[in-house]
Amino acid sequence: MLGCLAAVAVAGYMVYLDGAVRAQFEGTRWTLPAKVYASPLEIYTGLDLSRSEITSRLDRQGYRSSSSLSRAGTYRSSGGRLDIHTRPFSFWDGDQAARQIRLGFDNTGVSSLGAIDDKGDIALIRLDPLMIGSIYPKQGEDRILVKLGDVPPMLPAGLITVEDRDFMNHWGVSPKSIMRAAWANMRAGGVVQGGSTITQQLVKNFYLNNQQTLVRKAKEALMAILLDAHYSKPEILEAYLNEVYLGQDGGRAIHGFGLASYFYFQKPLEELQPQEIALLVAMVKGPSYYSPRRHPERAKRRRDLVLDMFHSAGFLEEESWREAKKAGLGVTTRSVRSTSQYPAFIDLVRRQLLGQYKDADLTEEGLRVFTTLDPTVQAATEARVSKGLDQVEAARGIERDSLQASAVVTSVEGGRILALVGGRDAGFAGFNRALDARRPIGSLMKPVVYLTALADPSKYNVITPLDDSALSVKLANGDTWRPQNYSKRTHGNAVPLHYALTHSYNLATSRLALDVGIPNVIETLKSLGYNGDPLSVPSLALGAVDMAPLQVAQVYNTLAAGGYYTPLLAIRDVTTRDGEPLSRYPLKIKRAVDEAPVYLTNWVMQRVARFGTGASMYNTLPDSLNVAGKTGTTDDLRDSWFAGFSANRLAVVWVGRDDNKPAQLTGATGALQVWSRIMADLEPRGIMNVPPEGVVEIPLRMRFDPERGGDSYNSSRDCSRTAQVPFVRGEVPDGLSSCDSDIMQENRYRRRQPPEQREEDDGNWLQKLFG
Amino acid sequence: MQRLFALVAVLVLAGCATSQRTTFPPPQTPAPPQSPAPERPASKPGDQVGTPAPKTMPARTAQEASSPAVLSLMGRADTLARNGNMDMSAATLERALDLEPRNPFIYQRLASVKLAQGQTGQAEAMARKSNSVAGNNPFVRADNWQLIAEARRTGGDRSGADEAVGRASDYRSASQQLMR
Repeated sequence: MLGCLAAVAVAGYMVYLDGAVRAQFEGTRWTLPAKVYASPLEIYTGLDLSRSEITSRLDRQGYRSSSSLSRAGTYRSSGGRLDIHTRPFSFWDGDQAARQIRLGFDNTGVSSLGAIDDKGDIALIRLDPLMIGSIYPKQGEDRILVKLGDVPPMLPAGLITVEDRDFMNHWGVSPKSIMRAAWANMRAGGVVQGGSTITQQLVKNFYLNNQQTLVRKAKEALMAILLDAHYSKPEILEAYLNEVYLGQDGGRAIHGFGLASYFYFQKPLEELQPQEIALLVAMVKGPSYYSPRRHPERAKRRRDLVLDMFHSAGFLEEESWREAKKAGLGVTTRSVRSTSQYPAFIDLVRRQLLGQYKDADLTEEGLRVFTTLDPTVQAATEARVSKGLDQVEAARGIERDSLQASAVVTSVEGGRILALVGGRDAGFAGFNRALDARRPIGSLMKPVVYLTALADPSKYNVITPLDDSALSVKLANGDTWRPQNYSKRTHGNAVPLHYALTHSYNLATSRLALDVGIPNVIETLKSLGYNGDPLSVPSLALGAVDMAPLQVAQVYNTLAAGGYYTPLLAIRDVTTRDGEPLSRYPLKIKRAVDEAPVYLTNWVMQRVARFGTGASMYNTLPDSLNVAGKTGTTDDLRDSWFAGFSANRLAVVWVGRDDNKPAQLTGATGALQVWSRIMADLEPRGIMNVPPEGVVEIPLRMRFDPERGGDSYNSSRDCSRTAQVPFVRGEVPDGLSSCDSDIMQENRYRRRQPPEQREEDDGNWLQKLFG
Repeated sequence: MQRLFALVAVLVLAGCATSQRTTFPPPQTPAPPQSPAPERPASKPGDQVGTPAPKTMPARTAQEASSPAVLSLMGRADTLARNGNMDMSAATLERALDLEPRNPFIYQRLASVKLAQGQTGQAEAMARKSNSVAGNNPFVRADNWQLIAEARRTGGDRSGADEAVGRASDYRSASQQLMR
């Protein structure tokens, strides 16, 4: 009777265990975080990368130098040429087979691209993209799933040889292998084999528990038998390949050979050499005890032992065996594929995806996410932010490590986010300042004010005289707003419009903003892509609106793209694990603002860079490069901004303090210093200044200079020193002569705005706007 | 699909009409047209912020203005479009834009694809973007305005379409002047 009860109890327990082990097994097959890829490097004739720049990119992606070029993922560099055997890859728009290509170089970059593999000509080819991270649940696990059929056959064969010779025949547990292990250990004079079958080890890994009690052992054995009854040997082996514990990366457990291959060798499993496979197999026994990074000699001894076992089992031939034993461990010095490599960017990707996918889809379905991140641009931006802050602190006598910064880099056209840095230590997944630190933007607002004015070409052009005299405005709440110039000085009542923006005059800008109307300025700001709702107050003219760097980048990107708004994107495509397209993020553009006033505004912002508050950038950038930009500084020097662009790169940099105390920096002394160093690293192409349909250019002498007495600096009539000044077609001022200047007295627009009218505005601007 | 073929036919005809001559003298107009902005850093330092227009014939076809890599992507995009795979065609053209972000011919083709997809707003925006990077190229502009006319007509904007047809024919005469 008692025996019968016990049998029922055991049977019941077996049913329970059966359910548990099956749930675990099924779960492992489907719990896969989304893989996130950087943008792939396109290689083609005319690409402006040198041979060493391409090889360093190859090295970064785990390509190996090899004279034979016989395997995918190798390259050889000789005699000014570079040969690459690319890896096959499934892109969002189809598969690309492995190819062998040859690149020639001249001093501008790639001068020729040809195939050396009989598979036909190519005009361009993509390298497989760098995997930059995964979107995984909070536990900090990560996998790269492999299929049994895709791994080098030596791996499963080696595992069976070393861990469980009887695997194909036993029922999940094997008394025979326990005996064999004991015998082998005796002969080797130490523990070289464990007695657990692969099935038992898999069960043990499911529960991540190393407690070696007798009860647990019995439970493991039972579960192993159940697993063996339910699933085929190949299924169990495949699960094992993906589940086995192979090391620790800080808080992250390295499970499975797919991830371990990247973690230790920085390349896919398919490319591992015999000695590398042997090392991973060797580590199964004790990933921490045999860690090749912490205990290289111990790891090498065990690897060589494993190689011997491969050899005597007959699947490693004599010559390869000798060669393999001579090779070093070959592990990379640090784990480059840490999931926290680009935390700020991955954070943005995750946020963009969460609008469309459920959390579980992202962490379990193994989606493939193709992003816009350019690893080279990201690396340069990170380095420049971190070093730049060190330099700024040293140069200005600011307490070390007191400053923080963030940066965004985009492609201008297409609105692709190429790099995102959320803080001084870019690898630290903390506060993402690029997205979440909203600060007043200061003078970054000014181009929006001037654009609003220039969009009314019958009233404003770039030489319209503006009033830079003292201003006080009574606000609706009874306060009086009294803006001042940064220098605390005024510059008279006839400062050419371009000059006022170039030198960031607060008074002229405030008066201009009140003239055009703050609501109109807000409307322009929104057209440019700002998604907030700023307060309609006069101080908005000087940047009394909080924005995150990414929002600023969106606004300036529309300016940089000539008035065409494109939503900034971090993701271009999402596919399923098998490559089926799920979502595309196609290029969308909208003509947000008229091209002509944008052209005029950008022309003035180039003068900011050449002659104004941004001029120190040319200590770093080449003189031949036309860029446009604007400094931003906020009250008490709390925030230091710079936003600027070339034809193909836009960058926004913020520098300040997390506690919002004064950083003691202007836009020029802080953010601009970092910005120009980033820009110098990005291979920027200069702005071409091809006027759009509605713009004509008139040569004028730019002679306004308040320091030299304005009008009195009139003696020179040197008409050869002129600049092409853009005007909206049909709105060129009357009376321009062939050798005229930017302080032309006949500018009819000035006469349309009698100064007394502005005086009346004091206190009445609200009435004027809404009355 | 029919619309796309009509459009491709328009473009091909326009292309043929202008590519029959093989030699052309330099333009005589006082303000010589500029070729689409080349993708090179070049400009003058100092006060001379503007660059004088180079006296070259603007490109009439994508072949004249695009690298082999971009041409190969355009060819692929055309094949995809002919097979009705508009999404992939657009994706391929976006890849071309990554290589040459200010090539007006790529935007022009994107406009045709968007039109074929019935996205008339995007079609017009792409064609106008093409204009904005086309410099004073009347060949490109004429075709773009033709596309805009088609997009507006499809979208039900008759008068807007007529206006665009007018612009297209202005630019077509300008290009014929250049060819003389």
